[in-house]
Amino acid sequence: MPRFLREILTITALTILGAAFSLCSGLAPLPWAEPVLAPGEIRLIDARALDVLWVDARSKADFTAGHIPEAICLNDEHWETGVVALMSTWLMNPRTIIVYCGSESCATSKLIADRLRESLPNAEIYSLKGGWDAWVQ
Amino acid sequence: MGAINKKSLFVLIARLVLAGVFVMAALPKIEDPVTFTNSVAAFRVIDLDLSAWVALFLPWLELVLALGILIPDIRRSSAALIGLLLFSFIALHTSAWLRGLDISCGCFGYETGEPGTNYSWLIARNVVLLWFIFLVLRQDTRNNPVAPNS
Repeated sequence: MPRFLREILTITALTILGAAFSLCSGLAPLPWAEPVLAPGEIRLIDARALDVLWVDARSKADFTAGHIPEAICLNDEHWETGVVALMSTWLMNPRTIIVYCGSESCATSKLIADRLRESLPNAEIYSLKGGWDAWVQ
Repeated sequence: MGAINKKSLFVLIARLVLAGVFVMAALPKIEDPVTFTNSVAAFRVIDLDLSAWVALFLPWLELVLALGILIPDIRRSSAALIGLLLFSFIALHTSAWLRGLDISCGCFGYETGEPGTNYSWLIARNVVLLWFIFLVLRQDTRNNPVAPNS
């Protein structure tokens, strides 16, 4: 067997062994399984480590009752005013935008995040996994 | 003789730097493949499903190559593959830069620091590492000029 091929096979075998270890030990989820995070989602523990511009996608009443400090209220009802406020804040200091709604099961944050990706194609935008519930826990 | 030793010492340091950089890049990603999956997907080159496969295999490949560049039996192929990876990373970063993506590099796992990626720094860093690979491969070829298929 050519030496180069033998070396490549050795490297491939070691890599596959390593990946198998990750799968068997539970370090890595099965790639074909349902992802722990949906596309565009971020965990609170990761979000806390970032410089974030928070966007509250819940109703105005919920926002008034309590929200993440310095969050901007942005939902379908107040889209025009909210998006202007968001853009002016983001343009002054571009950073990761994370949208949250009420809980794990709400879909508003993903919808608002999708709309924002169209308005701000250059921004890094996520929806918060677990939403406001994750924050207050 | 002195010049040869100096050159060999420099190549040895280059080899150790490459091994260290790739070990440091691999370990955090092996520990947290889910986060690395998101970093890969953020480049918007491949979809999330394929990103999960990349996040599973790439860190282990980096670790094997990092150690392989120090093991005589596989060091030439390891160096060649590291060179290929570095070429791919440079192409990927250039592409993300041209598309104006403001994302985390994900090179050493999840990077928290300042918002925005300094693409010029990332590319310059990989070009330097690529130069190290060139030196390592040149020395390996000189020291072992046997045809690869022997």
